[in-house]
Amino acid sequence: MSIRTRKEPWLLLLPALALLTIGFVTPVAGMLLMSVQASAGGFTLENFTRLFTSEYHLQAAWRSLRLGVIQTLVTLLLAVPLSYIMARAGAKVRSFLLIVIILPLMTSVVVRTFGWVVLMGPMGLLMQIPGAEWIAQSAQGFLGTEVGVVIAMVQVLLPFAVLSILGVISGIRPQLEEASRTLGAGFWRTLWHVVLPLSIPGIVAGASLVFVLSVSSFITPRFIGGPQIPVFAQTIYVDATTNLNWPFAAAQAVLLFAGVMLVLAATARIGKAPVRA
Amino acid sequence: MIRSVPIVGKILAILLGIFITLYMLVPLLVVAGASISESRFLTFPPKGFTLEWYVDALTSDTYLEPFRLSLMVGVVVAILAATIGTAAALALTRFPIPGAGAIQAFLMSPLTLPTIILAIGALSLTSMTIGAPNVGVLIVVHVVIAIPYVMRTVTGVMARADHFTEEASRTLGANAWNRYRLVVLPIARPGIAAGAFFAFNISFDDAVIALFLRSPQLETLPIAIYGQLEFSTSPTVAAVSTLMVLITVALMIVLERIIGLGRLFV
Repeated sequence: MSIRTRKEPWLLLLPALALLTIGFVTPVAGMLLMSVQASAGGFTLENFTRLFTSEYHLQAAWRSLRLGVIQTLVTLLLAVPLSYIMARAGAKVRSFLLIVIILPLMTSVVVRTFGWVVLMGPMGLLMQIPGAEWIAQSAQGFLGTEVGVVIAMVQVLLPFAVLSILGVISGIRPQLEEASRTLGAGFWRTLWHVVLPLSIPGIVAGASLVFVLSVSSFITPRFIGGPQIPVFAQTIYVDATTNLNWPFAAAQAVLLFAGVMLVLAATARIGKAPVRA
Repeated sequence: MIRSVPIVGKILAILLGIFITLYMLVPLLVVAGASISESRFLTFPPKGFTLEWYVDALTSDTYLEPFRLSLMVGVVVAILAATIGTAAALALTRFPIPGAGAIQAFLMSPLTLPTIILAIGALSLTSMTIGAPNVGVLIVVHVVIAIPYVMRTVTGVMARADHFTEEASRTLGANAWNRYRLVVLPIARPGIAAGAFFAFNISFDDAVIALFLRSPQLETLPIAIYGQLEFSTSPTVAAVSTLMVLITVALMIVLERIIGLGRLFV
């Protein structure tokens, strides 16, 4: 191969690598650095001590974590059967459901949250459903409640889960299910012992994506939950833009970053575990 | 198709399908409904019919300027992300590069990093170096988060294409310029188009990064809506939001025509 050919791929890669260095690595590294930088120069852990002694911030972090787990579980509960239906239904049903899933995904979160705000008020459509008051735990509607946040967030997160899982389930050959049925297993037994185990890589990938998006989200929790129930991303936003305390906001972002990395590393291992059929 | 699904299974599947359809679409329908209601307060189902709020939205500076900015940023981001992302995807799919896996993972990593972390990093870095965030900073960060999508769509197309046409053009003496113009780029075109649409959409819809970098001179459409939501929710916001949804629908139809949504996502 000529010299020119050896250079060619690197010339093609250069703009992307340069851009990510400027627009991705530098800001993230700057943020990590800022969280431990003392105002007088040198390094300090002051921001982290303050974070770990602030009841308010720890509570927000704990709430984000708790809501993240709940939202991930509820999302999976809907996404797994839906993905299976989409994978095994006819082309028309599949296309229809795909549009149903993708259209909201491609609509701004602000717009979707706006829709939920209208739906969740005390006079909103959701409160007309029998038993809604009991679920919302107040006659004031779902606004300002964690239940409301979960309902709205699961709608935001569902497409990410479905698209992760659908690809994997579509790849499971129907013959495997036929074989299981022929060998005497019923429909549900086949789902549980054949389809579900084979879907694990997609489910794990979808779950980690949904969890990461969930704990770092703040536009939907901000408008549905409101200031009464702050989530972690919201305290980061307030400290960064209202209080202009960037080092402290950075320290919180570092904690979020570390948590997210831990989850991704853990799920990457589970996702890689070989599944045999 | 799986034979003999029990009747309970079929019923559950249909119920779930209906529930998901309502659950996903009703929030969007509510916004559209509220935008044509005569009532000054947001109501659903709508009372009466009027296009007054659309006239309001399209003549008010509150939304028109942000709309222009969002459109401009979106188009620039789409062009830059499509160019840079396509180049990177071609390098990784067509050449044996040492460490290709690591480079690929690095270029895809903005996908898994929460945007809020990138947003606060960009804000603080900008403040320390050039002062107030400007439109250039917003574009750079949008391109960064859009590149993985372009790479994914282009890689998908290139993985399905054969390498022989390109080899043939090389053997027949085509120079690099002609090889790209006449062979490589036409093959990659559906992936590039889809990636560019995603990039536009990501930029046009983004609220998190735009929120951190916002200033009176730098307000995108989602941020204008965000600002209105904080204070009052008038039917005009609903009209603007509906227009945003309609733009998305239009983009999706174009995308479906060019490449087919099913092939992109499954």
